[in-house]
Amino acid sequence: MSNREPVPFAQWDEPEGEWTLPGACPVRSNRTLMLEAAARFLFPTVLVFSVYLLIVGHYAPGGGFPGGLVAGLAFVLRYIAGGESEGAEIGSRFVVRPPVLMGLGLLVAVVSALAPAAFGAPVLASAKVSFDIPLIGTVDLVSSLLIDIGVYLLIIGVVLDLLRSLGSGIERDAREAAGEEAGP
Amino acid sequence: MITINVTMAVVLAVLYSVGFYLLLQRSLMRILIGIVVLGHGANLLLQLAGGPPARAPVLGTALPEEFADPLPQALALTAIVITFALTTYLLALGYRSWVLTGRDEVQDDLEDRRVAERQRPEGSMEADAEGPDDEEDPGSAAASDRTDEPAEVSGSGAAR
Amino acid sequence: MLALVVAHLVVAAVLPLVSRRSRRAAFGVAAVLPAATLVWGFAHLDAALGPGLEETVTWSAALDLELGFRLDALGLVMIVLVGGLGALILAYSAWYFGKDSRDAPRNSALLLAFAGAMLGLVLADDLLTLYVFWELTSIASFLLVGQGGLHRANRRAAVQALLVTVFGGLAMLLGIVFVGESAGTYRISEIVAAPPPGGVAATGVALILVGALTKSAQAPFHPWLPAAMAAPTPVSAYLHAASMVKAGVVLVGRLSPGFADRAEWWVPIAVLGLVTMLIGGWRALHETDLKRLLAFGTVSQLGFLMVLFGSGDRIGEVAALTMLLAHGLFKAPLFMVVGIVDKVTGTREVGALSGLGRRLPGLAVAAVLAAASMAGVPFLLGFLGKEAAFEAFVHQGGARGWVLALGLLAGSVLTVAYSARFLWGAFADKPGVEPVDPRRPAAGLLAPTWTAAIAGLVLGSVPPLVNALAQPYAEAYPATDATEADYHLALWHGLSLPLLFSVVALAGGLALHVGRDRITGVHRALRHPLSAQRGYETAVAGLERAATQVTGRVQVGSLPVYLGVLLCTVLVLPGVALVTGGTWPQDQSLVSSLLQLPLGLIVVAAALALTRVRRRFTAVLLVGAIGYGIGGLFVVDGAPDLALAQFLVETLTLVAFVFVLRRLPAHFDTQNGTGSSPDAKPHRGVQLRKAALATVTGVFVAVAGVVLTGARQQPPAASGEFVARAPEAGADNVIAAILVDFRALDTVGEITVLLIAAAGTASLVLATRFDRKREAGGGTPEHEREVLG
Repeated sequence: MSNREPVPFAQWDEPEGEWTLPGACPVRSNRTLMLEAAARFLFPTVLVFSVYLLIVGHYAPGGGFPGGLVAGLAFVLRYIAGGESEGAEIGSRFVVRPPVLMGLGLLVAVVSALAPAAFGAPVLASAKVSFDIPLIGTVDLVSSLLIDIGVYLLIIGVVLDLLRSLGSGIERDAREAAGEEAGP
Repeated sequence: MITINVTMAVVLAVLYSVGFYLLLQRSLMRILIGIVVLGHGANLLLQLAGGPPARAPVLGTALPEEFADPLPQALALTAIVITFALTTYLLALGYRSWVLTGRDEVQDDLEDRRVAERQRPEGSMEADAEGPDDEEDPGSAAASDRTDEPAEVSGSGAAR
Repeated sequence: MLALVVAHLVVAAVLPLVSRRSRRAAFGVAAVLPAATLVWGFAHLDAALGPGLEETVTWSAALDLELGFRLDALGLVMIVLVGGLGALILAYSAWYFGKDSRDAPRNSALLLAFAGAMLGLVLADDLLTLYVFWELTSIASFLLVGQGGLHRANRRAAVQALLVTVFGGLAMLLGIVFVGESAGTYRISEIVAAPPPGGVAATGVALILVGALTKSAQAPFHPWLPAAMAAPTPVSAYLHAASMVKAGVVLVGRLSPGFADRAEWWVPIAVLGLVTMLIGGWRALHETDLKRLLAFGTVSQLGFLMVLFGSGDRIGEVAALTMLLAHGLFKAPLFMVVGIVDKVTGTREVGALSGLGRRLPGLAVAAVLAAASMAGVPFLLGFLGKEAAFEAFVHQGGARGWVLALGLLAGSVLTVAYSARFLWGAFADKPGVEPVDPRRPAAGLLAPTWTAAIAGLVLGSVPPLVNALAQPYAEAYPATDATEADYHLALWHGLSLPLLFSVVALAGGLALHVGRDRITGVHRALRHPLSAQRGYETAVAGLERAATQVTGRVQVGSLPVYLGVLLCTVLVLPGVALVTGGTWPQDQSLVSSLLQLPLGLIVVAAALALTRVRRRFTAVLLVGAIGYGIGGLFVVDGAPDLALAQFLVETLTLVAFVFVLRRLPAHFDTQNGTGSSPDAKPHRGVQLRKAALATVTGVFVAVAGVVLTGARQQPPAASGEFVARAPEAGADNVIAAILVDFRALDTVGEITVLLIAAAGTASLVLATRFDRKREAGGGTPEHEREVLG
C-alpha cells in the first residue's frame, strides 16, 4: 500500500499471495487474479453441479458422461488458472493419480455389471429399490446408477490424465526445449 | 415424415465435403481436424436419421408420441464421446510425430516406390532359374550318398 | 480304410526317431505298411471284385462333409502299385541311399507319408476326399523333388511340379464343386450312376479334366515330369513312374463310366493322350540320360493310358487296367535298373556306358524282361495290354477307332524303339567307348528289381490272373456286341489284325532303332523354338512381372491416393446403386424449425472457412464454432442430452487442441526450423481435384441420407419399446435408461475405449521426453513412474 515499486502494467492483476490456490504454484508469472479468483469460487460449485448432473441423469438430461465432463472442466479451469503443475495434484492437496481414477471407474462399472450374476440374474440386470424419505418423498434407487458412477469417475480420470499428458507433459517439453536452446 | 430437410442436407453435405477435403491433405493436423469435422457430420446425421425436431424423450415432460427417437440419440452420444477419445489420441500422435521428426506431414512410403521400380519380385523364380547349373547332378546315386557333413569339393561323380 | 491311411501318416511322423538309430532300418520299417496294405487288399479280393468294399467316416455332419472310401477292382490294381511296388521301392531305397546319407531320413518319412496319401487317393469314393489326398500327393511330390533345396535343379523342378499340378488341382476343385452341386452328391459311385446333365456339369467335367491332365503330365503340361528327375531315383521310380502320375489316369478311369460318351470328356482325352504318347516317345528317342529317357517314356505311356481309360469301350477298358498294372510293373524295375547302373558306374549317360551287359548279365536280364514288357513282347504283361488295346479300337472301327488304332500303333513303334534304345544305351558294347568297370551291386538293390520284373513275366504268361481283375472293372461299360462281351485277355487270339499290329510295332520299332542315326538327323532338322517347357517359363516370368507391375501401380504408398481410391469406390458402387435404385422423397421440407437456419448457416460458414485458413489456431477455433453450432442444432432437435455432451466435449476438445498447439508452429505449412518447405504447398490442380472429389462425396453422403431416411415408412419399433420400458429401469430419461440399462454393455465397452485412448495419449506424450534423450533413461523406474502417473 505504501511505498512499493510500481507494478508493471502487464502484471497488474498478478496475485501476491498463494491464497487462491491451496497447492504449490511454482510459476509466479502468467497468473491472473481474475481467473484465479473465479477458479477459487467456481471450482467447488462446478463440482457440486457435476454430482447433481450425475444423480439427476435418470430423470432429466444429465448422467455420468455430462457429469464427469463437467467435473473434468472444473479441473481444467483450475489447471489453467494455477498454471503449470507437476503431475497429479493439479493445484490441489488431494493427490489422486489419474490412471488409478480411470481404473477405479472401470472397475465400478464392470463389477456392477457382473454383480447380478452372483444373484442368479443375467449380467447387467438392474434392480430398483423405492423408499420414502420424509420431506422429500418417494425416492427410487436403481442399481444401474453404479454404472453411471463408474462412468463419472472414469471420465474425470480421463480428463485429469489429459491434463497430465497434453497439459503439463507438453509444457515441460517446451520448458526443456527452451532450456536447451538457452543453455549451450 | 422422417426425411432430412433441405437445410440440414446442405449442412451435412458441407460438413462431409470439408471433412473429406481435409482428410485428403498431407498435414497431420489438417487430417485430424478433418476427422473431427467428419465426426460432427456423422453425429448430426445419426441424430437427424431419428426424425425431425420433437420433444426431448423424458417421461413426464411430454407424451411419448411427441418424443424424438431416443435410440439414435443414445448412439450419437456414444459416438461423441468416442470421437473425443480418438481426437486426443490423434493429437498426441501428431505431437509425437512433430517432436520426433520436426514435421507433422504424412510422407509417401519410399519402400512402395521401390517396388514400383522393380522388374520382378524378390526371390523371383525366374531369377533362380537363370545362371549355370550346379556341377553335381542332384538326382544321381552319388548325391544320395552324401552324408551330413558339408559336401567336399572333390568326389563328384563316383560313389564313395 | 481310413485307419490304414492314417497309420501310414502316423508312422511317417515317428519315422525320424527310427532314422536317428539307423537310417537303413527306417526304410525297412517304412516298407512294412505298404506291404501290409497289399495283403489287406488281397484279403478283400472277393468284395473288391464283386460289390466293392465301402467305408464312410463323417467329417462334418453340419457341412454334410464325409470321407468316403471304396475298394474296387481299379482300387485293387492301384494298391498293387502303391502298396506292392511301394514296399519294393522302399526296400530298394534302404540300399540305394548310403548308410549315413544326409537325405535318407527325409526321404524315408516322406515316401511313407506319400504312400498314405496316395492310398487315400486311389480308395476315395468322394470327390472332396479325393481332392484332399490329391493335393497331399502334390505336396509330397514337391518336397521329394525339392529335397533339401540345395540344388537349383531341385528347386526349379519342385516348383514347376507344384505349380503345374496345383494349378490343375485348383481347376479340378472348381470342377468338383460344379459337378457335385449339379449332381447333388459328391459320391463318385453315385455321380457315375446318374451323371448330371447341363452346361454347369459339362464345365465342371472339363475343369476336372484339367486336373487329371496336369497330374498325369499330358501335353502341354508334361515338361514337369522330366524335370522332376532331379529327385533321387527311388523317388522317381515310385512317384513319377509307378503311382502318383497315375492319379490323373485313375480319376479319368473312375469318371469315364458316367462321362465317356460326352464329347467334352473323350475328345480332349483322346486328342491330348495320343499327342502326348507320340511326343513322349519321340523325345525319348533322343535323350542321352537314361533316366530322362525313361521319364519321357513314362509321359508317352501315360498318354497311352489316358486314351485307353477315356475310351469308354469294354475291351479298351480291359486293356486300360492291364496296361495300368503292366506299366507299374515294368517302369518301376527299369528305374531301379537305372539307379543300380548309376550306383555301380557313376553315370547314366548313354555315351559313357559300354560293355555293362557282359559284366552284369543278371541285371541286364532283369532289364530286358522289363523293357520287353514295355515293348509288348509276348509272354509279358505289356503284350496282353497292347493286344487288347489294338483289338478295342480295331473292333470299334469308324474314323475314331481307326485314327486311335493307327495312332497307338505309331506310338507303339516309338515305344519299341526307345525300349531297344534303353537296353542298347545301358548294356550294349559300343565301339569307341571304353568299357566300364562296375562294382558289384548289392543284393538289396537287385532283389526288388527282379521281383517286379518277374511279376510282369508271371502275370503276362498266365493271362487269367489279370483277366480276373480287369473284367469286373470293364463290366461298368456296356458291351455292344458278343465280341466285346466275350473278350478276355489271352496270349493267342488267333491270326488277327491286332496280332499284325503287334508284329508291325515290334518290327518297326527295331528298324527305327537300327536307323537311329538317321532319326537323330531328322530330330535335329525338326528342332523348333516352340516348346512346352519354354511356354511354362514364359508364363511364370510373365506372371511375376505382371504381379510386380500391379503391386507397383496399386500400392503407391501415398495416403491421399489411397483415400481417393476409397472415396471413388464409395461413389461408384453405392453411388450407382443410389442413383439407379433410390427415389427422392416427395415430402421434403425446406426447414423443420426456423432456428435451424441460422445455426446451419454458422456451421456451413465455419466449415467453408476451415478450408481456407492457414493458421492452426484459427482452424481450431472454427472447429469449435462448428461443434457449438451442432450442439445448438441438437437442442433444436429435442436432444438435450446430446447437446449437453456436445458442448462439454467440444470445450474439452478445444482445450486439448490448444494444449498441443502451444508447441506447434502457428501456420500449417511451416515445419520445424525449415520454414515453408517447397513440397508443403501442393500443386493447385491437385488441390482442385481433391476439392472436387471431396465435394462430390460429401454431396453423395447427404443425398444418401435424404433418400434413405425418406424411404422409411414406419416409426422404428425398438425405440417405442425403449420408451415403454423406461419406467422399469427406474428412469424418466429414456436416453439414460438406454445408456445404463438397456444397452449398458455398449457403455461399458465405450468407457473401456476411453481408458485405452487416455493411456495411449499419456504414453505417446510422456514417452517422447525419453525418446529424444536416449541416455536420459527410457524404461527406467523413473520413466515408468512418470507414464503411470
